[in-house]
Amino acid sequence: MSVVTEAGRPGGASGAAVVEAREIVKRYGSLTVLDRCSLTAAEGEILTLLGPSGCGKTTLLRCIAGFITPDAGAVRIDGADMGPVPVNRRPVGVVFQSYALFPHLTVARNVGYGLRMRGAPAAQIAARVGAALDTVSLAGLGERYPSQLSGGQQQRVAIARVLVLQPRVLLLDEPFNALDAKLRSSMQVELRHLIKQLGITAIFVTHDQEEAMTLSDRIAVMRAGRIEQLDGPEAIYDRPASAYVADFIGASNAWSAEAQGGRVPLPDGQAMATALAGPVKVMVRPQNLAIAKPGDDATGWIGEVRFRRHVGAMMEYEVGFADGSVIRTLALHGDRAAEPTPGDRVSVSVRDPGACMAFAA
Amino acid sequence: MTGARPAIGRPVHERLADALLSGRGVWPAVPAIVALFCLAVVPFVILLSLGFSDVVFSRGEIVSQTFSLEHISRALGDTLYWTTFQRSITLAVTTTLLCMLLGFPVAYLFLIGGPWTRRIILVLTIAPILTSGIVRTYAWIVILGGRGVVNATLQQLGLIDAPLRIINTHWAVLIGMVQIHLPIMILPLIAVMSRHDRRLDEASANLGATRLGTLRHVILPLSAPGLGTGAALVFTLSYTTFVVPQLLGGGNYLNAATMVYEQVVYALEWSKGSVTAVILMATCLVGLVIIAGLTNLATGWTRAARS
Repeated sequence: MSVVTEAGRPGGASGAAVVEAREIVKRYGSLTVLDRCSLTAAEGEILTLLGPSGCGKTTLLRCIAGFITPDAGAVRIDGADMGPVPVNRRPVGVVFQSYALFPHLTVARNVGYGLRMRGAPAAQIAARVGAALDTVSLAGLGERYPSQLSGGQQQRVAIARVLVLQPRVLLLDEPFNALDAKLRSSMQVELRHLIKQLGITAIFVTHDQEEAMTLSDRIAVMRAGRIEQLDGPEAIYDRPASAYVADFIGASNAWSAEAQGGRVPLPDGQAMATALAGPVKVMVRPQNLAIAKPGDDATGWIGEVRFRRHVGAMMEYEVGFADGSVIRTLALHGDRAAEPTPGDRVSVSVRDPGACMAFAA
Repeated sequence: MTGARPAIGRPVHERLADALLSGRGVWPAVPAIVALFCLAVVPFVILLSLGFSDVVFSRGEIVSQTFSLEHISRALGDTLYWTTFQRSITLAVTTTLLCMLLGFPVAYLFLIGGPWTRRIILVLTIAPILTSGIVRTYAWIVILGGRGVVNATLQQLGLIDAPLRIINTHWAVLIGMVQIHLPIMILPLIAVMSRHDRRLDEASANLGATRLGTLRHVILPLSAPGLGTGAALVFTLSYTTFVVPQLLGGGNYLNAATMVYEQVVYALEWSKGSVTAVILMATCLVGLVIIAGLTNLATGWTRAARS
């Protein structure tokens, strides 16, 4: 198992731990869904649980919320053990994947639900609901029913519904899943601003690494019930703790190589430094590979463009080699006429050998 | 469908089936409409005509029939009609309310239960419907009779000295009615519960509600459509029922349906019987409209959703 590192992102975490999960274990029959997961979220920090479906990230979130009782381990909020505290007494607000808005209540009554359950006086409920709707820019929509709102508006109602109770921790379970791609990215930025502005501690669950990068102060990359790496977004991207993390965060090219004398030879003739010895897995980000049209007598790493596609301002190439291997490269558009097209022979080179990653195979 | 392949050259039955199933017009419903017209509309018109006319019979055949409002006016002025219909309505409303009261907890158990609990509830709910209502009603005679299970047990325990008189009273009728109609209430409730999104209950708990609060503010209001459907079915069936009051009431419990039976079968007063039947249908319809109105009030949000 790789070393789990924990480090703050500059300007992110500060102060004492608000949420602490210690050695959480959850089993369903013979299946271990959570295997000794530990994490802490500091005051005002946005922490993301990132991983593929079935990695246990939602289960961990549900343990913190109290919907699930862990088989072992403890959840603490502000130092208090949450074990004996039932769901409805925990200072956490959950935003569900499908929002779980009450369809039979208007927006205002949805947002005021928690206050009504706490027996707050009507005048106070009205004032706080109004303020919460203002915060999420939904003023004037209080009398609508959830089904009369767009997906983005529904999401904001779900957020207002928990914010109005001023929870210590905000838990969000894939809150952007139900939104279309364009709205999703703008809502991500908006939500990060809102959470930072309110200074609330938040834990997100997502399988989307881009979303995690946008929102988080720190990211916990999960794999099969364990936290593989817990670190700031840049650190996770630049210094992944394992091949799994490197592969999950950002697309990567990978191949096997042999490390000798602290160096791993690269296919283009260069070499990268490593502390490892023996067989290794080399991983290189697509933007760290450059392609060029080779001269007639060029030797080295020569392949053929199989496919290319526009990715915004970038062009992604899929290059195949004689030995059957395939790599992807990513480059800014250059001279259109000079860009290789499928079928062209190209030579591939590593831009910066120092940015290549090697993991024990 | 038709456009995809040329119609020419295809067998007639295939083209006919295509046309019938294309969704245009009322053709798919025609068999049901014909059957309903022959079996429901025509007899109903005959029933109406008998109630609103003087009929002279001879050797089982109608020899003359003249329009008359005498039967309906006589019925409306007769206190026996008023007390009988009052009794019928009270019985039907009580049965409906008791079925709601007893059925909802079962549906709630279905909601919170695991797959096996759900299966058992479903089997126990449907099984009684597989037996005839008459058989089940006779079973109640055995259970509630003077030497029946209930009285025998109570006497064994020394709680009573002499057998309680349950059978042939309105209590026996009410017990039988609730038992016979309870599954009819539970089934639509289960249908609603099986579609219920449990995330709403989790959200409610997360927002600070107790289990009772979630039940009252989330589960109950969202069950309104099921309660409405169940109430409409149970009210209609229990208001117009004949078997249970006849058998468990011991022939001295008169409700609207048993009244029709006596007028037609014993007294051979067809006009009287048909007038009673018409009043029964009309009042039943009023009851249904009230139930539909109440259900609409409770499910206003579903209409807002559509607009």
